[in-house]
Amino acid sequence: MKKLFSLMLVLISVFGLAACQPKEEALEEVSLTVWASELDQTLMQTMIESFKEAYKDEAIFTITLGAVSEATAKDQVLNDIEAAADVFAFADDQINELYVAGALQEVQENTAEVIAANGGAEAGAIKAATKNGKLYAYPMTADNGYFLFYDKSVYSENDVKTLDGILAKAQADGSKFTMQINNGWYLYSFFAGAGLQLTYNGTVNSANWNNATGVKVTESIIRMATHPGYINLNDAGFVSGVKDGSVSAGVNGVWNATEAQNKWGANYAATKLPTYTLDGQQVQMSSFAGYKLMGVNALTLQPYWAMKLAEWFTNEDNQILRFQERGLGPSNVNAANSTEVKASPAISALAQQGAFATVQNVGGNYWSPTETFGNMIVNAELTLQGNIQEALNIMVQGIVAQPIG
Amino acid sequence: MHILQHLNRYLVKKLKQLTIQIHSLGSKMKKGFLNLFQDFRFGDIYVKLSLLFMGIGFFRRHQIIKGILFSILQIGFILFLIFTGIPNLSKYNTLGTIQFESVYNPITRRNEVNDYDHSFKILLYGLISIIVIFTYVYIHLKNIQTQRKLQLLEEKGVHINTFKEDLIELKDNRFHVTLLTFPVSGIIFFTIIPLLFMILVAFTNYDQLHMPPTKLFTWVGFRNFEILLTTGSNTVTFGYAFRKVLTWTLTWAFFATFLNYIGGIVLALLINSKYTKVPKLWRTIFVITIAVPQFVSLLLVRHFFADQGIMNTLLSADIPFLNDYSWIDFIRQMGLIKANREFVPFLTDPVWSKVMLILINCWIGFPYVMLITTGVLMNIPKDLYESAEIDGANKFQLFAKITMPYMLFVTAPYLITNFVHNLNNFNVIYLLTSTRVTSNQLLANANASDTDLLVTWLFKLTQDYYNYKMASVIGIMMFLLSAIFTLLAFNYTIKSNKEDRFQ
Repeated sequence: MKKLFSLMLVLISVFGLAACQPKEEALEEVSLTVWASELDQTLMQTMIESFKEAYKDEAIFTITLGAVSEATAKDQVLNDIEAAADVFAFADDQINELYVAGALQEVQENTAEVIAANGGAEAGAIKAATKNGKLYAYPMTADNGYFLFYDKSVYSENDVKTLDGILAKAQADGSKFTMQINNGWYLYSFFAGAGLQLTYNGTVNSANWNNATGVKVTESIIRMATHPGYINLNDAGFVSGVKDGSVSAGVNGVWNATEAQNKWGANYAATKLPTYTLDGQQVQMSSFAGYKLMGVNALTLQPYWAMKLAEWFTNEDNQILRFQERGLGPSNVNAANSTEVKASPAISALAQQGAFATVQNVGGNYWSPTETFGNMIVNAELTLQGNIQEALNIMVQGIVAQPIG
Repeated sequence: MHILQHLNRYLVKKLKQLTIQIHSLGSKMKKGFLNLFQDFRFGDIYVKLSLLFMGIGFFRRHQIIKGILFSILQIGFILFLIFTGIPNLSKYNTLGTIQFESVYNPITRRNEVNDYDHSFKILLYGLISIIVIFTYVYIHLKNIQTQRKLQLLEEKGVHINTFKEDLIELKDNRFHVTLLTFPVSGIIFFTIIPLLFMILVAFTNYDQLHMPPTKLFTWVGFRNFEILLTTGSNTVTFGYAFRKVLTWTLTWAFFATFLNYIGGIVLALLINSKYTKVPKLWRTIFVITIAVPQFVSLLLVRHFFADQGIMNTLLSADIPFLNDYSWIDFIRQMGLIKANREFVPFLTDPVWSKVMLILINCWIGFPYVMLITTGVLMNIPKDLYESAEIDGANKFQLFAKITMPYMLFVTAPYLITNFVHNLNNFNVIYLLTSTRVTSNQLLANANASDTDLLVTWLFKLTQDYYNYKMASVIGIMMFLLSAIFTLLAFNYTIKSNKEDRFQ
């Protein structure tokens, strides 16, 4: 017994002394998880490797990459913020919900450089990532908006300037023009184009779409919807319509550019949205400018390295790489100005539309009411003779409602 | 009218029974406490001390291991109270007051987070604490009685079990305890605690604007119920949507259950008929629909009936021998679709989609009923039919007077569970119509759609809008609905005195 006791004493003192010895300068061990679209997995892995290489003198990294679509990142993160990835990609329409739930870490390393690289505080990409005057995410792409695709063999450059021109040509050709109106994202174009307001203060929306101009706008939408040259199609419908030749022009986004290019070949063209006739006058359609952002989890244990990694994913070189590999338009000014990027018809069409686009800043209660309003027009439940004013009132009531309860 | 009177009388009777039961429960509890008091009063010093130290009596009666175990239990409970119970329960009235704050420190490269309250954890651990406290108090009081019994045994000089003998008891006389411990604790942890937790959430403002860990939520009393059950709240039309959705849920459950049931029986009769050739082949064909996962078949059906789907493509073809007159033109002239339609809105129009859902559900449901009823049909005594035929009954009378009553009697429990299952039939509704857009603006403002059941509405509210508080309220409503139908139907159909009717 005594022997054992003394042995233990010896052991303890040995370990105690060892603890006092000056340690070797060990590298910090950093482990991070990243969520990005399943389409980007190989690309992201390349960027992760280059990141590890660049900072190999400062830390040892264990970076795990998971596949979560940018479109649903919010759902995954908000399900359990504590279990969500340290760095995740998301579309800018989700920033409000993520911010309100406190899921985003404010950008606090190299903030000024990030802002400058994306065109300064007034640039759309930065505005989309800013809440309450503070930057909460890193702009990754600037191509998540929509514009007009058309087949040059059907439409001349002059035709696509006005909605009336497009519809007339489509009717004459026997094909269709499409722009989904039972979807608040596209429906916005008409109302915002006419100068109507839609704002969001972080809790509730406010909108004046139910005034006299709103009624006129609705009439214009109904006229388009009932035109023989028009068809209402969702995203998948657009693709199949282009493929089978029934659709010759449509409003859609970069993600379907390849489909259109494959079908129309040399006749593939893209440009800004057309003007539409509002009360006898031509009005330019507005649009939501869409961005994809890289966010850092507010509950991360490694905020510094998570920010560094998010910045790495969105720096100039990697934005160009993303364009080359995946055809996604950069938000970084230098990357966007490269000749390579400028040569893409879809990206340049987006740039043209950029002048009329606004950053999407709407609360969750916007979507359902607008979707239903559009649906009423599609189903001819709301016609020129119908009670447009009342339908607008109910829609606005839904948009500006307090989040339930 | 007659049924209502009957029901009324039935309910009154049940209520009376319930009051009597509550009364007897009350007097039982009173008696229990009285006994406890007596035990305590007449017990020796060890029985009395066991109010403070659980294990002490066991030590006195030489049950050392038991004594140690109960002491550990008591110490464990006290530690639990100090580290989990008291910290959480002391904040239970507010569910926390200190909000999450995090400041980034560029020098340490870390976020400095304050000692914040986590409302979700407070609510959950508080609930668990309450359950633990009640269980412990019960064991503690029960222990006094045990000590008194041990004292009496000792006084009479009867042998007191050793620990080993106690364990052997668990294998023999008290085997039911051994068997039931595991499932009961499973039910408590995986069913009862989540259920109670969900009920508690219904009385808080846990939603998108109050999401832990970064935000706090707190009690709001009955406000969520008010929102759901009253119409004309100034902002959203929750009350309206609730009534609409509830009506459709009940309609759906009724048709989905009974059409399936009757269809399945007819199918089984057809296959069992002596005129049917190769019945095994037909049975196999129908069973194949069961073999394919619902998930797969429903998504395929959704594409099949989509607005630009295969079915519409087929229908847009000309009817044979008629030029420029397609099936869709025909349907339009029948007035079944609107004049401006180029397709049949199978799953996108409120009326069409409701009918289609019920029909598609029949296609999925028939084979199950067919399988179950085939077995039952074979069990109907043949002599019943023979004697009826001698009395001159026709085929229909045979079916209505013998087959159906027999079937109903045997399959009533299945029918009831099926009805309750259909009230919550998530798969069919969600997989087929989750993408449909409603034209009802009032429904849309409450994030509901025409074909939503309560359960799919609940799913959308939690999944897309993080409205956990309203989802909990709807969950409670669903629970009540299921419980009411189950109780009523079981009480009505399965009465033991009916059993001899078919002997």
